[in-house]
Formats: sequence, C-alpha cells, structure tokens
Amino acid sequence: MFSPGADTDGYRRLDRKCMLSMYIGHALSYAVLLAIYFAVRTYAEGFLGPYYDLVGYGLVFILAITLVYIAVAPPVFYARYRYRITDDRIDVRYGVLVIRHILVPIERVHQVEIARGPINNLLDLADVTITTAGGEVSIRYLEVDEAEKVADRLNDLIGKMLRERVPGPAGA
Amino acid sequence: MTDDTGAPARHGEPIRCHPSIVVERSLSGIVVLAVLVMQLGRGALPALLAALFVAVVLFNYRQWSRTTVRFNETDVVVERDTLFKTKKTLPYAKMASVNINRGVLNRVLGTARLQININSGSGATVPEAVLTFSEDVAEGIRAEMAQRLYGSEPVSDEEEPAEPTVAFSPADVIVHGLFSVSTYQTVFGFAFLACSVFQLYTSAGVGGGALVSLLIFVVVQVAPSVSLIAHYYNYRVYRRGETIYLEHGLIRTYRTSFAASRINAVRVKRTLAARLLGRSCIEAEVVGLASGSGESLRPVLCLLKDDAAQQRLLEELVPEFVYDRNPERQPAGARSVLLVRAAIASFALVLAMAWPSLYVYHAASTLAGAAGVVLPWVLPLATALAVLAISYATLVSYQITKFDAGRDLFTFVNGAVDRETVVMNYDKVQMVRVERGPVARIFGVARGKVYLLSAIGGASVSSGYFSEERLGVIGETVMERIASGEYDYRKNRI
Repeated sequence: MFSPGADTDGYRRLDRKCMLSMYIGHALSYAVLLAIYFAVRTYAEGFLGPYYDLVGYGLVFILAITLVYIAVAPPVFYARYRYRITDDRIDVRYGVLVIRHILVPIERVHQVEIARGPINNLLDLADVTITTAGGEVSIRYLEVDEAEKVADRLNDLIGKMLRERVPGPAGA
Repeated sequence: MTDDTGAPARHGEPIRCHPSIVVERSLSGIVVLAVLVMQLGRGALPALLAALFVAVVLFNYRQWSRTTVRFNETDVVVERDTLFKTKKTLPYAKMASVNINRGVLNRVLGTARLQININSGSGATVPEAVLTFSEDVAEGIRAEMAQRLYGSEPVSDEEEPAEPTVAFSPADVIVHGLFSVSTYQTVFGFAFLACSVFQLYTSAGVGGGALVSLLIFVVVQVAPSVSLIAHYYNYRVYRRGETIYLEHGLIRTYRTSFAASRINAVRVKRTLAARLLGRSCIEAEVVGLASGSGESLRPVLCLLKDDAAQQRLLEELVPEFVYDRNPERQPAGARSVLLVRAAIASFALVLAMAWPSLYVYHAASTLAGAAGVVLPWVLPLATALAVLAISYATLVSYQITKFDAGRDLFTFVNGAVDRETVVMNYDKVQMVRVERGPVARIFGVARGKVYLLSAIGGASVSSGYFSEERLGVIGETVMERIASGEYDYRKNRI
C-alpha cells in the first residue's frame, strides 16, 4: 500500500516538516507558560507570601524541563513515527517517552476525517483521524496530498467491505 | 398497539404521549420558582414568577400537543411541530434496547417512561427518546418492540418472567450497597469520619470543621450506599432465549432488557470487603442502556453474592463469556518495573510530606495533653503507613495481575485491593494499543490497552506488564478472526 517511500516492512515515515510544525506549536505553548511565570513573579508575591520564592523556583524548574523536552521531542517523534495501512488494518507506531503501537482493524472504522490547524495549514500538513466505536487514532503531520490519499484509500477499503456484505438475518 | 387513550393504534398512526408529561416537565420549574419566591418574594416579583410558571406550563402543553410518535413497520418516528421543528427517526435495526423506567411521579399518575436507546457511542449516556405513556400502554409498546428487537419470544411471554436462577434477598441488596463501593472511596470516607470524631474530641462542642468532615463522610460513603440499596431493591435477573432481563428499584423502578449478543465484556468485581466476605458481583459492558438520570450505565448481572452463586449465575446468564482459562502471570521484568514505580512513588510521597510533617511536629509538640503527644507523629506515621501500603500493593499487584488469551475470549485480571476480572470477546474489540514506557523498555515488558464500545461511549481496559509479543496476540487474533470469517459482522452490529 502506498509503496513509494515505504520501508521494507511496509511502514511509512513522516515528512521532516513535521518537526517544524511541532517546534512552532511547542513554542506557542511555551510562550503561554512563560507568560504565566512572569505573571506569578510580578503579581503573586502578596498572595503567596513566604512561599513566593519556593513557587518561583518550582516554576523555573518546570520551565527548564519543558524547554529540554521541547528541544528534544520533535526529532525523537519524527525518528520513531511509523504508520502502515494494509487491506485489513491500520498500524501506527509513535512516542517520545512512551512508545505506543496502535492497531485498528479496517473492519472497525466508522469515520475518517482530515483536519488542518493554522500551523499545519502554513506548512501544507494535515492530520487524518480514524474513528472507531471505541475510540480514535490519528495519523499526524501528513503532507496534504498524502493525507488525501490515506483518507481516500481508507474510504475505498471501507466501501469495498460494506459492498461485499450481502444483507442477511442476524446470527445467520 | 394502543394509543394513550387506550384505543388501538394501527402501525404508522401518530399518537401522543400521556398528558401527565406536561406536569412532569413543569414540576422542576415550579420547585425553582417556589425557592425564588421564598428567597426574593417582595412586591411584584411573586406575580411575575407566577406568570413565568404559567408560561412554562403553556410551553410544555404546546410541546406535548404538537409532539407525535409513530410506530412504523421499520422505525419509530418522533416528530415535533413547534417553533424548532424536529423529526427523529429511530430504525428498529439500530436499536440497542427499549426499557421502562418509573419514578415516583409516574407511579402516582399511573404512567411509565419508555426509553429507546440506539447503538451509539457518541450519545451513549442519554436515551435517544424518552416517551411517557400510561403504564399498560408503555408495557404493550415495549413488549411489541422487544419482539421486533430480540425476535424469538412471543409477546405474551413478557407477562410471565422466567424463574430467576439465583434469588437476591433484601440482605443481599444491603450487603451490595454497603460493600460494593470501592475500597479507596471507603477509606477516604472513613478518614473524614475519623477526622470528624477527632475534631469533636479535641473541641468543646460541635465545631464547623467536625460538621464539614461528617458531611464529606456522608457524601462519599453513606449516600452512595443508600443510593445503591434503593436502586437495586427487589433485584431480579433472568435470561429468556437470547435476552437478559433486569428488574429492580425502590423509589424509581427499572425494567431493563437487552440481547446477550450486545454484551461487549463481562466484569467480575471483588472489593476488599467483598473478598473478606467471600462475595463477588458481575457487571456487563453493554452499550445503549442509558436512562439519562445519571445512574451507573453498566448493568449489574449479579449483586454481591457468594462466589459459588456468582459463578453459577455467570454460567447460566452469559455462557458466551465462560471458558476454560489458563491465566499466565506477569514475567519477572514486570516485577522490576513495579518495584521501580513503587520506589519513585514512595520517594515522591516522602519528599512531599517532609516539610508538612516537620511543620506539624513543631506546631503540635507545644500543645498540652494527649494532643501534644499524638499529633506531632500523625503525619510521619501516616507517611510510613502509606509507603508500606504502596510496597504491599506492588507485591500483591505483581501476584494478582494475569492475562489469558483463549480462542474466542481473552481475560485481564487486575487490582491489588479491589480485584476485577474482565472477560472480553475478540469480536468486540475496536482498537488495540500496546505501550512501553522508559522503565518498561529497560525490562522488556509492555502494557496493553483494549478499546471497546461501552455504555459511556468508548472505554479501555488495561492489562498488566507482559512481553510486547504476548500482548500482540490480542490484535493478531482479532485480525485472524476477521480474515478467516470466524468474525460474523451480522452478530456484532454497532
């Protein structure tokens, strides 16, 4: 399936642009954290009293840890991300700290959705969200053309499966 | 089928709900308005609120008079011709259950609520249609719809329930109410009771702090138990053909039925107290049983009963979920992961409690009498006990957690304190996730998460730590059953 660009085991990798998208997204989140830090440092001295310095050090610690994560996570995420769509299953492997392997039988897919946020819009990337009755899984940071292909392919597979099903009584 | 006046209603003929629905819907409004009048009742305000109440009643009357229900050959259509027109079509083929529910007002007015649920994950917590009819009409409609949904039994059988396999006495209901509440919740509740008693002992009279603690105990421990007892009073469960029937309720009565094929998983639960009493209960994961009144959506197939009776009921009610298990324990790597986790949790706890313990020690050691002797050591002692509890839970968890992969079913056993055995059907699995955290990777183990369609929409059931290959069997078996044709989509319609 989508063999061009796939590894020998059939898994595909993301475009390197995904790292840029993640960096921009993380930078915006970090800006919010910084704003909270400066707000606490500026306005919360009276409220926090003797705990002011302690809370300040705690926030600096959180900011430092977050900064390290933001710097390291995108390349690790990119290096580990693999997805594969075959005739009967969707297989996604990803994770930075915790590595996850998700398997969704095509038979269980109810809905396929392509979504693009403002950052992904700038970079021509999109997420494909696959919904089952028990939860959903996303294939993230796909190039728009690839996302369209993935969604079309999934819709074709689901359509083919439904057409093959001859109506009959339950339990037959 | 009859309409609500008692006259026969032909298929496709529009009928209206019982007029008491106007009272039912207006009642909450009158309570709110009465409170407002009592609090703010000066000048023209009561008259204004009375006018508002009349407007609410007229609105509800108009809603009732312009809402019709048609029971067609293939579907039920609920249509409302008001300012915001709606037309809801509920095909029989997509219905999960049709149940009857009677509150106090329904019993006073001789009516019943007919609740229709669709197999929907997104709206799983609320029924798609709630229709009030006089009791006999509701029973008649339900019997006819049950015949369409569940098929096999003649309608007249609805009036003659099968003899329950296991009988539940009022004592069983009380035991279930008291001991099926989670142990963590019970410990939390009793901690507040102890706190309240201590505050009463140390203060001269009944202080505000003691009352607050007592109130939390009532909310956390007493209220859920009383609610469970009222909910499951007169509990009966039986199976006829492919349909399981539940009847219970003291104040609000419930009569619920669903096809056994709708069950996605079965949970056998044993809280710590229940284990000490040698009892266990059974819950089923069935989608489409929402009543919309906030109660637990997971039907209980067996209240806390001795283990032998529970097993007998399990085999007779849901033999589809019984198989010869050969459970495997977690590998040695899992123990290392659990020990690392316990060490980190204990270290974090000690670190978090160090400063409060020192503070309380210095503050309390100046107190006179017993308080000055006991209080300084309360936090260090509680911390030490918590660390011991973490260590004990870790060891027990390692021994208890099991996984078993059968041919048609698989099982996760979890829980150091409150134990739960979840038996799942491969054909009901929607998605499988296997994850390995940084510590688990070092010791070569992973955790599995199985996603099922549940009563609250989607739900996941987690395994313990096993090798990735072993947990991968779940997903592979699901795929094999689809490929080989063992999976029959007609039996597993969502």
